Amino acid sequence: MGIPKHKKITMESTRMREKRKPGERLAVLVMLFYFTAFLLLAFRNSTWQGYALTFCVPAAIWGGTHILGKCFHIDTLLFSLTNFLCALGILVLYGTNPNLAYHQAAYYGVGLVGMVICIYFMRVFRSLRHLRILMIIGSVAFLALPLLIGRETNGAKNWIYFQSVSIQPSEFVKISLILVVAWFMNRRQFLPWFLCAVGCLILLMLQKDLGTALLYYVVTLLLFFASTANVPLTMLGILGGGGAAVLGYRMFAHVKKRVALWRNPWSDYENAGYQIVQGLMALASGSLLGVGLGLGSPTTIPVYETDYIFAVICEQFGLIFGVCVLLIYVAIIWRGTTIAMASRHGYQGLVSMGATMMIGLQTFVIIGGVIKLIPLTGVTMPFVSSGGSSLVSSMCLTGLIQGVASLNEDDLEEDLKLTEAM
Amino acid sequence: MKRQRKLFKLLAILFFGLFLILTLYGGYSVATYGNRWFSSSKNPRVRAQKEMVIAGDIYDRNGIQLATTDELGNRVYQPTAKARRAVVHILGDAQGNIANGVESFQTAYLYGFHSSFGELLSGLFTGEARRGDNLYLTIDSLLCQKIVESFENHSLTNGKHGAAVVMNYLTGEILAQVSLPTFDPQNISGTVNKNEQPFWNRATQSVYPPGSTFKIVTASAALKYLPELAEEEFECTGELQLDGHTIHDFGNSVHGLMDLKDAFGVSCNNIFAFLAVELTDARLKQMAESFGFNDNFLFRDLVVENSRYPAQAGRSDYEVGASGFGQSSIAASPMHMCMVAAAIGADGVMQEPVLLREVRTPSGATRVKWESRSYRQVMDTDVARVLQNYMRYVVTSGTGSRAGTRSMAICGKTGTAESTIIGKPVNYGWFVGYADDISLPIAVSILVEDIDDGQGGGSTAAPIAREVFQYIAEHPERVTN
Repeated sequence: MGIPKHKKITMESTRMREKRKPGERLAVLVMLFYFTAFLLLAFRNSTWQGYALTFCVPAAIWGGTHILGKCFHIDTLLFSLTNFLCALGILVLYGTNPNLAYHQAAYYGVGLVGMVICIYFMRVFRSLRHLRILMIIGSVAFLALPLLIGRETNGAKNWIYFQSVSIQPSEFVKISLILVVAWFMNRRQFLPWFLCAVGCLILLMLQKDLGTALLYYVVTLLLFFASTANVPLTMLGILGGGGAAVLGYRMFAHVKKRVALWRNPWSDYENAGYQIVQGLMALASGSLLGVGLGLGSPTTIPVYETDYIFAVICEQFGLIFGVCVLLIYVAIIWRGTTIAMASRHGYQGLVSMGATMMIGLQTFVIIGGVIKLIPLTGVTMPFVSSGGSSLVSSMCLTGLIQGVASLNEDDLEEDLKLTEAM
Repeated sequence: MKRQRKLFKLLAILFFGLFLILTLYGGYSVATYGNRWFSSSKNPRVRAQKEMVIAGDIYDRNGIQLATTDELGNRVYQPTAKARRAVVHILGDAQGNIANGVESFQTAYLYGFHSSFGELLSGLFTGEARRGDNLYLTIDSLLCQKIVESFENHSLTNGKHGAAVVMNYLTGEILAQVSLPTFDPQNISGTVNKNEQPFWNRATQSVYPPGSTFKIVTASAALKYLPELAEEEFECTGELQLDGHTIHDFGNSVHGLMDLKDAFGVSCNNIFAFLAVELTDARLKQMAESFGFNDNFLFRDLVVENSRYPAQAGRSDYEVGASGFGQSSIAASPMHMCMVAAAIGADGVMQEPVLLREVRTPSGATRVKWESRSYRQVMDTDVARVLQNYMRYVVTSGTGSRAGTRSMAICGKTGTAESTIIGKPVNYGWFVGYADDISLPIAVSILVEDIDDGQGGGSTAAPIAREVFQYIAEHPERVTN
């Protein structure tokens, strides 16, 4: 039969949608999980905010899935998975530091708005011909801001402050970088692609935000590979990146220190190694099944709420649950890739794949750091880590994917109409 | 477009691979190192739990209570200072002066981190204070006392620092482990001289040059790689020239013409240096590593310092020759040397040393009970049999005669290792050996630090080993129950 395979899959899913969307059933399970979990903590803390969360979080999940599902043809399965992770972040934070959880819940609302904006963006601006210059200049200027008006924290200068609000521009520049890079790659315009990527990298290096620089570098390189299939140049890029890493190791004292701590965090337990060691103890004390929601002492880990949120999850819920969380990320990558593969436009496919890889790589880098597989870099765990910039930008990335998904559905519906008309 | 789809799929698979690595590495490292991370004295979770849970009791293999908690929540050890001093390095102390004693390394059990949900729940209902699990160790605490006594009774070892390990070579159970100088955990300020580093567990935390006891490894390598040498005769002239250095024998003796067994029996350095050079560094290292040198020891119940065989290539003949008799940067703990002797006794199979027999819940039910497990097959059985013969010869008519008793067939190897500490030469006396008796499969390792001039392992360490064997022959029920 003449129907290509990817089309067959999406047609089947169209038929399934008519019966019932798989994401909606999942959403019910997610709601139940969070209802009981928040109720448990609310009993313990017995504050009205706790009970509010008990009802608001499941309600938000239900409402989001149904309302957004009606407005756009979004991928409800992907949406349920991201919702699960966002709510997990709020839950774990509520068990350790309630104030952070209330903020996180508010950021989640902002993130939903950001996601909708990104869906619109993908649907309205199908071409970046007129926007690209504006986007590049805007991104670079935004990314340069911390260097001009930022303050240095934890050795990196990557935040800007407006009175009580702090923003990490590199989190948001990610989104426009993926859009711009995908656009140039699709049109085979290598010089602007290259300049754009190198410009961002230099700015990040100046801010000493090496973790984010790594993410930008690898994702742009993989997007280059995905659109050109040029193995020799990609290999060259990987070697170049490796060379830069060695150079960075030689040049920067704090990189050297990071690597030494990764190899043996116990050597400087009292000071620099304290965080890694406490994280490992949290993993070990969680064992397979965890010590229980809201129990244990995960708050002894410095910055447990962002970098080390995975250790907190593992201590309270256990390693098996930790692996399940990893599986959810794997499912997100799988959905993102399917959506990218189903897209009929090179640019949109690349955007979806780029956003997916950004989420996947960021997760790998931070969890790999927590379990001491690779040296620790201060990137956040997408959707889960505390912090507005991180949560909103992760939601925006899924917004890009969802936008592509809804465009795919539109294309399919057009096809169906055409076949019916025939 | 089609190609792009394929590449997307490829990239997704790459990411799935990365996540698989995360899962496997995370699972592996928690399974391997989890207890070491958790039981670290730096873990604040343990400190918090200590406020809420009454620590469990610790018993030796004959049911003697080694540690308990009184009504006030203080840790109480045995009634006499003598008894407390003998086992303090195994148990550790309440202040945590000793690293990785049972008190700290097994906190997960002692402080009830393994309690089941039902136990927690019933504790809530009855309102009784929670108790941790009780531990039953493999050691015989009276044997530990006996070893401390032996050190004190012999004029050549009285007041010396040292260590001793006794284990069952078929099961790996540790029957005794002593480190000297020792101290009383209930009177630390009164019994401790910090300059002597009494908190240091010399049986497991320190590594020493093994000296001639390493000839067990060299002889094993020779029998494996150069089997024709066992038939040959060598001549010891008392001096061997290697790269412009001269190797002398202990006491500058000249042994003359002899075969491998005789050379092992009189512990001839020249012949073993010659053997090491003939074997080559690579093959000697290979045999040492199959004995566990350069391993990362991750035993379930014990933290043991890793033993070292020099790793760099291109060492001179002189250094390789010195390695043949356990010098030149080779180092091993008394615990590991006991495992080496045990492996010969067990026909070439090395057992993992174990210290925990059983963990019981506060109500007396078994929480966990372990089977012994072998660490590795070190060598072929027939090579081990030849070495058993050699080691028997050491005790019947060689340097280890002072370890022999009439009641058992003792096999062993002595050693006198040289080292320098801050420019001052220091000698260590070693005896490692085992009883060739299937009903009493006991291996021992004795180390005496800083022995007097002119003394060796045969005169210092071997007599203590003999008293261990005599004790076991007189009280077989204490160590085999």
